[in-house]
Amino acid sequence: MANLNKGRHVGIVGVGQTHHSRRRTDVSQAGLVREAVDRALADAKLTMDDIDTVVIATGPVLFAAVNQPEKWVADAIGAQLKPIVRVTSGGGAGFAGGLAGYYQVAGGFADRTLVVAYDKLSEGALQYSISTLYDPFWGREFAVGIMGFSAAYWRARMDVLGHTEEAAARVAVKNRRNAIANPYAHVKKEVTLDEVLESKPLCWPIKLLDVPPISDGAAAIVLAAEHVAHKSCDRPAWIHGIAYCCEADNAAERSLLLSEPLALAAKHVYRAAGITNPRRQFDVVEVQEPYTCFELNYYESLGLCPPGGAAELIASGATELNGDIPVNPSGGCLGANPIGACGLIRLIEGATQVMGKSENTQIKDAKLALVQSGGGWANLRGCAVLGA
Amino acid sequence: MGLSRVAVVASAQTELRGAWSGAQHIDLISSVVASVFKGTGISLDDVDFVIDSGSDVLDGRSISNCGFLGALGAHHKEEARVEEDGLWAALYGVNKIRSGASSVGLIVAYSKPSESSVDAFWNAQVEPFYQRPVGFGHKAATGIQAQRYLKAHGGSDRQLAELVAARWSAAEENGGVAIDEVPNADTVLESGAGATPLTRLMLARPVDGAVAVLIAREDIARRASRAPVFITGMGTSMDRHAFGTRDGATLASAEAAARMAYGKAGWSDADADVAEVSGSSAVGELMAIEALGLAGAGQGASVATSGKVAINRSGGALPADPIMATGLLRLAHAARQLSTPELYGLNGGAGGPTKAIAHGAGGVGMQSNCVFTLEV
Amino acid sequence: MLSAPDTWAIDMPPLHAELNMPYTLTPGRATGTFLAEIGTRRIVGSRFASGIVIAPAQDFSPIDGESEYEFIEAPATGVLTGFTTVDGVTIGLIRLDGCDNDFAHRILGDEEPTLDARVEAVWADGVDTSILAIEGFRIAADAPVGEVKPFGDTAAPVEVVKYKLDLQYEHAYGPYYGRMFDEIRTNRRIMGVRLPDSDSALLPPREADDISHKRTGTWKTCLDTGTIRACSIINLEFLGQTRPPPYVYAEIVLDGASTKMIHMIDIDDIESAKQRIKPGTRVRAVWREGERVGSLRDIERFEVIDE
Repeated sequence: MANLNKGRHVGIVGVGQTHHSRRRTDVSQAGLVREAVDRALADAKLTMDDIDTVVIATGPVLFAAVNQPEKWVADAIGAQLKPIVRVTSGGGAGFAGGLAGYYQVAGGFADRTLVVAYDKLSEGALQYSISTLYDPFWGREFAVGIMGFSAAYWRARMDVLGHTEEAAARVAVKNRRNAIANPYAHVKKEVTLDEVLESKPLCWPIKLLDVPPISDGAAAIVLAAEHVAHKSCDRPAWIHGIAYCCEADNAAERSLLLSEPLALAAKHVYRAAGITNPRRQFDVVEVQEPYTCFELNYYESLGLCPPGGAAELIASGATELNGDIPVNPSGGCLGANPIGACGLIRLIEGATQVMGKSENTQIKDAKLALVQSGGGWANLRGCAVLGA
Repeated sequence: MGLSRVAVVASAQTELRGAWSGAQHIDLISSVVASVFKGTGISLDDVDFVIDSGSDVLDGRSISNCGFLGALGAHHKEEARVEEDGLWAALYGVNKIRSGASSVGLIVAYSKPSESSVDAFWNAQVEPFYQRPVGFGHKAATGIQAQRYLKAHGGSDRQLAELVAARWSAAEENGGVAIDEVPNADTVLESGAGATPLTRLMLARPVDGAVAVLIAREDIARRASRAPVFITGMGTSMDRHAFGTRDGATLASAEAAARMAYGKAGWSDADADVAEVSGSSAVGELMAIEALGLAGAGQGASVATSGKVAINRSGGALPADPIMATGLLRLAHAARQLSTPELYGLNGGAGGPTKAIAHGAGGVGMQSNCVFTLEV
Repeated sequence: MLSAPDTWAIDMPPLHAELNMPYTLTPGRATGTFLAEIGTRRIVGSRFASGIVIAPAQDFSPIDGESEYEFIEAPATGVLTGFTTVDGVTIGLIRLDGCDNDFAHRILGDEEPTLDARVEAVWADGVDTSILAIEGFRIAADAPVGEVKPFGDTAAPVEVVKYKLDLQYEHAYGPYYGRMFDEIRTNRRIMGVRLPDSDSALLPPREADDISHKRTGTWKTCLDTGTIRACSIINLEFLGQTRPPPYVYAEIVLDGASTKMIHMIDIDDIESAKQRIKPGTRVRAVWREGERVGSLRDIERFEVIDE
């Protein structure tokens, strides 16, 4: 919903992420955070003294046994006595952190805000803690984490929208291949279409190779107001629009086909950023795909193609690295999936593309990036437009 | 290019009860969201975003906001969950409106501590390798905090007990708190061990409740109210995690938060008429009063119940601490004291209060603090 | 300003829920080294580049986050700088001799603690890789003042610490869930409340509709039959699962309702289930044999209605 006529322009001026891995046994949550923050501050040519406020984001606290973990990990980054707050939004936590930080700068509360997002998924029993997402009276005993309903909504889209197993498998092939060039990803193995289609069904139609890893990882960005951005970099990734919407999960008319909160967020963001033809105007797109089927859903909900056009879009090669609208050149979640950090990682990957300093495959002349993230029961969804 | 001014238009709260055993979280939330608009001329349709505060650990649900989005009024709007006291959610909302992105926001905070172990909620915040296994937690921090304060500044048990009794009495009158019997100072002293030297009633009492605050950009606020309550300054600060490494008898982070808020408001000191202050204990509240600059070091008790500034006319946090909502309630009460002072026994009209301070705290031993300045 | 939800007395004790979650936490280098050495009664601390000495050891100075340090060994004696008693246990803040921070631990023994008293560690037998290898500290007025010494060859850090979080809840039913589950238990029927301006029922029932935020209407019985809105075939195992895979996870809209409920359908195998069970499939509830308790589990499963 950013209407930038009145507010201050905000840019991403420094980024950093850890080398994500299945399990980091050498650092605690605090140490993981410190790594990402050190890199982001160095990238922004700043020290913690230059930072006005800090936003910390993680996935649900039950993932890692420390309630309100910002209160513990902030000491590790030397942020003692600074204004610090934590936001969370399930899988969308990292993006929600970026959004909260954006408003601190845009609203004049800070000139420079550090946002750090992380999850150390190796520490907890992920499925068990996710089961607590559900109402203890109504549904928890039958729930199957995020996978059960995600697969069910995919199944509902299969017949009506043509989101076939094959179309989703193309997402797996593309993203897994793209991840190989990403120095921060840890799953780097090419797969073939057949391998994906023949992989073990977990919650059919979701199969093993449709599923990202679980990871330990942290990511951080420095957001700066226009008048100080130049001290950190020559080419910030300006945030032209950013929004995050939701839908009540239990609604009679809730669409399983289109993501209405994402479409709403996109509508607001496109208007703020002057986007009238997303397919043509964006040079690169980064989306958070907790399972391959979601990427197809995002193509449609973001207006990159009409409803029912996602299978055709991916089959055409347009979203490949050398296509006209590359999606997830970083490999997306399939390369690394520290859930609470993923949304911020997508912002970083989109930002570095338009800043011309992508560490994976730089899309030539990328000027405008679209970034998507979300969580919950697939009912918390947002997107942002970054441009340099 | 100026940033918009933001005002509190209205607020609504449920009664704060030791246990709302006849309602779920979602019921408390939907009732305050339904009530907050009444009489303002603004409706849920006009709301651009909802920022909510709640705790997964207290609720017993991961991503607990997810199950309450409809009740929060957030369907098809922007939503954000701040997993900290609601005053921080209000801070986020104010920034959103100031940035020009939105014009009307709804801030909601709630909890039902009666449904779980409050000790477990606090203790789970404590670093898990050195502090948590030895049993260090919020109560221990609060007790040691009191010991340090009393050693530095003196003060008697009876003084603390009288403060507690005064707060409970105010809560019964103005706080919307369900109270069976207002304790007197003796009852407080005899309420059993809490965290020595504090007795049980000297510790803030967790209660169930929900609160909603409607904020709007100045032009819209002026349509809804003749005298909107403007938020003129906001500040926050978070102290060190290990309690033993924090300054002894002061709340350094509350001081920093107050400096930041007053600076933004253009106040040279705590020049307010009313103040709504949070506290984990009677001593915590005194430390907050001093950190806010309402009294000198060790002098909090001398202004807490009498003096130039009317402090905690709602009763504050001691009789009623709906964890995660306490600071937002302070904002709601402070704003109401400016717009309808007579309801709190304050003078109205030309001689009425025009400036208020609202304070919220979070974390073990009040590790993190947030301060708002309000003006009509 | 005071608002209240609908409430009326219902005769249902709260729903008890337990979250018992196992963890494998990673302490990091400094804490891991402390844990590795504490079993041999050696207290590892960190001396940071600025000269600050912190014990127990930390990777980052709690004062300002500095990260360069060397390990030292701290003495097991120090000074009591604060204490309180909570639920019968006395917790104190201790500053070990030669160190710059106070840390929390238990105070043991009968002697009345006083501020600035000297204390010494009491070791627990047979406990290692935990801060509780120190059982606590006792008042020891004559304890000699110890010294901090360099500790060059520390053991390899512990990399994994097992932990368990046990949380208990007593969830209130409230009047809406209360009536609904009471009807399930007593009358074997599923009732919702009518949506505003509609004959269709909202399940689960509540006071306000999620979408319009308007008050819901009167109670309505839904049928035992319904239509699948979405489904997937579960073929993986996980902690807390109530049925062995494969089976179908289904979101079902009962006849008379407009919102879904989640349940399960038994299947023979995955391939036949793919054909037979899909969005639009008609299903029927199969109630549990024997006494009902007033929960969705009183419906054992759903089954496909063969046309």
